Amino acid sequence: MSDLTLQQDLQGLKSLKNERNAAIDAASTRPLPKTFPVNELASKLHPESQFLKIKQVIKHSADERSFVLEPDTEKGTQHLAYFRAGQYISFRLKIGNSYVTRPYAIRSAPADALKDQYIITIKRVKNGFVTSFIFDNWAVGTPVEASAPAGNLYFEPLRDQKNIVGLAGGSGITPFYSLASAIADGTEHVKLTILYGSRQHDHILLAPEFSKILSKTNDVKLINVLSDDDIDGFEHGFITAELIQKYAPKTPYSIFICGPEAMYEFMDKEVKKLNLPAGRIRHELSGNYGSPYHETDYPADSRDKVYQLTVKTRDHEQIISAQSNESILVAMERAGITAPSLCRSGECGVCRSRLISGKVFSPEIIDGRRVADSEYGYIHTCASFPISDVSIEVPVHDLADQFG
Amino acid sequence: MKKYDVIVIGAGNGGLVAAATAAKRGLSTLLLERHNLPGGAATSFTRGRFEFEPSLHELANYGTPEMPGSVRQLFDWLGLHVKFHEAPGAYRVIKSGPDGFDAVMPTGQEAFINKLEELVPGSRESVTKFFDLGMESLMAFAEFQAKPNNIDWHAIGEKYPHFIHYAKRPYKEVLDELNVPQKAQDIMMAYWCYIGVPGDDFEFAYMGMMLVAYVVMGAYVPTTRSHEISTAILQTLLDNHGDAWFNTEVNRIVVENGKAVGVQIGNETIYGREIIADVIPTTVYGKMMRASDVPERGLKLANARTLGTSGFLVYLGLNKSPEELGIKDYSVFISKTADSSEQFSATKERNKQNDFTIMNCLNLADPGCSPAGTSVLYATKLYFGSSWDDVQPENYAKVKDEIAQQVIDQYESATGVKIRDAVEEIEIATPETFARYLRSPEGEIYGYYGHPWDQMLARTMAINEDDQQMPHLHFCGGSGFLMDGYSSAYQSGFVTANMVAEQLAKQEVTK
Repeated sequence: MSDLTLQQDLQGLKSLKNERNAAIDAASTRPLPKTFPVNELASKLHPESQFLKIKQVIKHSADERSFVLEPDTEKGTQHLAYFRAGQYISFRLKIGNSYVTRPYAIRSAPADALKDQYIITIKRVKNGFVTSFIFDNWAVGTPVEASAPAGNLYFEPLRDQKNIVGLAGGSGITPFYSLASAIADGTEHVKLTILYGSRQHDHILLAPEFSKILSKTNDVKLINVLSDDDIDGFEHGFITAELIQKYAPKTPYSIFICGPEAMYEFMDKEVKKLNLPAGRIRHELSGNYGSPYHETDYPADSRDKVYQLTVKTRDHEQIISAQSNESILVAMERAGITAPSLCRSGECGVCRSRLISGKVFSPEIIDGRRVADSEYGYIHTCASFPISDVSIEVPVHDLADQFG
Repeated sequence: MKKYDVIVIGAGNGGLVAAATAAKRGLSTLLLERHNLPGGAATSFTRGRFEFEPSLHELANYGTPEMPGSVRQLFDWLGLHVKFHEAPGAYRVIKSGPDGFDAVMPTGQEAFINKLEELVPGSRESVTKFFDLGMESLMAFAEFQAKPNNIDWHAIGEKYPHFIHYAKRPYKEVLDELNVPQKAQDIMMAYWCYIGVPGDDFEFAYMGMMLVAYVVMGAYVPTTRSHEISTAILQTLLDNHGDAWFNTEVNRIVVENGKAVGVQIGNETIYGREIIADVIPTTVYGKMMRASDVPERGLKLANARTLGTSGFLVYLGLNKSPEELGIKDYSVFISKTADSSEQFSATKERNKQNDFTIMNCLNLADPGCSPAGTSVLYATKLYFGSSWDDVQPENYAKVKDEIAQQVIDQYESATGVKIRDAVEEIEIATPETFARYLRSPEGEIYGYYGHPWDQMLARTMAINEDDQQMPHLHFCGGSGFLMDGYSSAYQSGFVTANMVAEQLAKQEVTK
């Protein structure tokens, strides 16, 4: 190409910059929007915090209560976030010196959230740190703080079969109550058969409330399974593969499991016998993992030890003690450190922290880490147990008052 | 609290590289990120036994050790040890409408041209010319993109006259001028979606370079998803004594006498000599600065621009292997029309017209990416976020499930591969998801749309003016001079940090 052409081409290129300057000169100086509709949708569906108030307390029995929650508009929550039946909210509680979280399934229907109401139902755990606090302190008008709805134990039509068999133990019934309600009011289009395991007849949670739902729809069935009581009209024993087959539909189905860890481990063996394709069995542990000692790969010589845990957050460092049978998250909570957490079952990753030195044991069943995180030394504190002195870097809790 | 040389806001691809580069150059560096993970969209998430790649399709400009691209050179300089897998073949494009076609395109210039000649007899000569021009663009780029603030355009022009000659002309117009047959053009148009500018608007220099770069240098994916790259870059920052604070929101950029001096988080101000924002200027000037502090040129530029597209992705963990399902392609582009302008226009509304979909099967590039006997597919569509403005919380799940269902049906019908019954895990990302995690306006993932005056060339020529909107405040990332995309954002972070380092060095001399 000739020099002349090059000169012309360079001029042509430079004219682009003139066009750009012209576009800028012609533009408005009006202030830019602070928010946009899609961002508003995101903050409605996934608010960082929900400030709630107890509207009503329903006492089902001495150890079982439902709490009806409404938005605490004075604190800035105008409406409750919508959710998918089966999801939970994680409460953020200050108990004594400790900042702790607890996930509880929303047991009311998603449609109720549009009327600004959630209901959660809690069973008091004997000597339980958090449930005792809740039973002693939560009354009408009490302000409480929770996360946005979270969790994946919901019906997904592109993945799940049109029949769900729900296996529930203890208060693990609550997400199924929400799903049953959503089926009854037409929000969800799926059939649900619940096998609900309780020890005794009077341990069955929400029995009268369930009767009401069952009277409204033929798409929900509830079978109570009692391990200790043998009563007419109730199944006796445990939820076994045979029992599931007895009540499951003849057409393909998906199994949803929610209950305490012991039940989950038992169920795991039973559902394997059904030889369902992968993906047909879904579960959520709901923060119910206990001690790691029973895991076959747990290093025996770490048992019953107390280790030194160094916690670094930004430029602040604190040394605390950590018991081998409790997660690093719990050790921090005991010591009054405000650390992030949500699901408490290793799954959501909110408590992700950096391991600077030392060793932890992460039980496979709750080790939901990303592969690269394992390689680069990151842990989920809720699913990591110290097996040596440990030093970690924990991000500041996003919602805590960051600088006191 | 100590004062940093450099404070980087946002740990997306641009911010990560900017922070790591600054730290590696010996500057005291603080990286602030609102989320609890590095990477922005360059991350991963787990569902059941799958760990999904959220956003990366093909890392461009990586290349081989013998012929390293700019990104490999950058990663080597940063000292990353990430294992990459080369994606097999270039892409498959299926036009499913009337006069449809199905083209499986290989990598390698010769193989690509041969395949096109086989599919479109008579295309060889024009396509060979195209490759010559694209290659010239690629070489010109390689020369100036590391130092775009100091380009001698005349020298570039003498060395690469065709690059300058065709640079700003629309891609489609140049293909027409080269007499590339329409069907060959259709096949060569698919990559428009990676930058979100249709072929009628897309400057030849960039689009031509991009296609040639992918075909000649191949495309790469990391072994354990983008999260591995992000974590590795962060590690470089930490290894070079940089600080990284997660869960940390910058409420405001602190401006004194018209100059950026620090950031406010919580009730505290942290001072920095230079501030780099891996945040789109619309957000910085709209939300993170007092209206009276916003520089006029920056405000007008933001007002003159159009937000780029957002995305819609369906992530599928399947309980069968690619062999069992009959999946043979890493990357398939599917649409009823091959006209990129029509495809682009359809992204402005949320209806069935918007059928342009990319389906990737990660196992084809990295067989170990999911457990034996399983496979991972992910589909990508573009939408302008505004097409989701009407969605309400209570119908959100239904809206996304419906589109995901269409995507699955479309893929099954175009390829004959049946996946519906093998779905073990599914997750769906929408503009809302990007707005939630990236906090970008309308969930944009592509920065600003590339108006002809706001594409790579114009932005590159204006890089110094753009950088001088406010003293000590700089930008990088997907809205940067190379526009969106992983390689572009990495490069922009590198360039911005280097510009900042030069300015700090000058300040030292002045002192």
